[in-house]
Amino acid sequence: MEAIEVRDLRKTYGGTHAVDGVTFTVRTGETFGLVGHNGAGKTTTVECLIGLTRPDEGTVRVLGEDPARRRRALAQRVGAQLQESSLPERIKVAEALRMFGSFYQSGNDWRQVMERWGLGPLARKAFGDLSGGQKQRLMLALALVGDPEVVVLDELTTGLDPIARRETWQLIKDLKTAGTTVVLVSHYFDETEALCDRIAVLARGRVRAMGSPSEIIAGTGTASLEEAYFALEGTDR
Amino acid sequence: MKALTSLTATELRLLFRDPASLFFMMAFPLMLLVLKRGESGAVPGYIAMIAAIGGMGALPGTVASYRERKVLKRLAATPISPVLLLAGQLVAQVVAALAGAVVLVVASIVVFDVEAPRNVLLLAAAFLLCSVMVCSLGFVIAAVVRNTRGATLIGMLVMFPMIFLAGAAVPRKALPDSLRQIGDFLPLTPGVQALSDGWSGTAAVFPIVILTGIIVAGTAIAAALFRWE
Repeated sequence: MEAIEVRDLRKTYGGTHAVDGVTFTVRTGETFGLVGHNGAGKTTTVECLIGLTRPDEGTVRVLGEDPARRRRALAQRVGAQLQESSLPERIKVAEALRMFGSFYQSGNDWRQVMERWGLGPLARKAFGDLSGGQKQRLMLALALVGDPEVVVLDELTTGLDPIARRETWQLIKDLKTAGTTVVLVSHYFDETEALCDRIAVLARGRVRAMGSPSEIIAGTGTASLEEAYFALEGTDR
Repeated sequence: MKALTSLTATELRLLFRDPASLFFMMAFPLMLLVLKRGESGAVPGYIAMIAAIGGMGALPGTVASYRERKVLKRLAATPISPVLLLAGQLVAQVVAALAGAVVLVVASIVVFDVEAPRNVLLLAAAFLLCSVMVCSLGFVIAAVVRNTRGATLIGMLVMFPMIFLAGAAVPRKALPDSLRQIGDFLPLTPGVQALSDGWSGTAAVFPIVILTGIIVAGTAIAAALFRWE
């Protein structure tokens, strides 16, 4: 069963092809990675998945529905952590979780989510006073408070220190164990290699390769995903 | 409805957590009242001033920061519409202004023996219209000015002259003729007028109609120009 189907997706901003014919599917329960450097089209693709951006061409189906037409209904079942999004500086952790919890018809109890993701001790702390890792953990918890079937995480670990990154990895592995479908956007190769069942390598708005990390490495005859990526990209930077 | 209630409650909590809002909407009008030794005619103007400080002084910066810091975008990825956050911000500003106004009115009656308002219903209607009107202007500022600092600055630059020229902070009688004429064209002037009418019990329809017109026009302009990102 496919949780996500993207076929021939195209999106142009002011003459630039942000996404130029992207096709992939994500199976239910799979952790799927979108890899590529900045400007490769990852975020545009993700925004099409959650209905924030309307594709110019192509079809997108998430849980069998069109996100551009059914954004709000789908948002009940799809959680998202957006790149660089934030909350009001003075909102407290518990308030944010309770408020987001009120947006969903069914869903997890926000107190349980707070404890589950280790945010209990921070309950009364203001968003503006949290560390980068704590903020990301809260944004991840907010993506999960509605008990989603699909979770989209855009650059979840960017800017985190190595310990916080490893902690976040464990949280994502826990999601997979619980059967949640995860779309992980990242430009860290170690991360996608450690977490993803399959990945799509994006460059200049197109899919350059798709498969399990080991398949992609084997396909390019390189030793690591990072080397494979540069081989596919055709630039050695 | 559950989401709107929750958003409004949160916005109100954030507003009361902001020392500047608390001071200018609660303590500052009381200080002016003490300086004026409880002059009875000043209270309706101060009520308009409290509303203007919230709706034009605070709201544009807050809304612009929600856009700039991608708070609105994050809400767009939930089942609710980000419009609800703006509605929550509006209701929170009106409620905060109401709290400031009630404190002021009670203090003026209890401490300074000001004669109680003659027509409480009309006063309440005038307050609601005046408060929503300044918020609609605040949304226009947040729609036109893109960044947080700019929106806060423009909000202040519009709000401060207006509270003086519209007769909110000082009576218009005290102004020179030329400045008083400017006041005739300012949207807060009918707000002060409607509040004064409610207080003295002289029902006048004209300021109420004007306020309603400004709310409709302001909301339409803000809705047409507002950018979510």
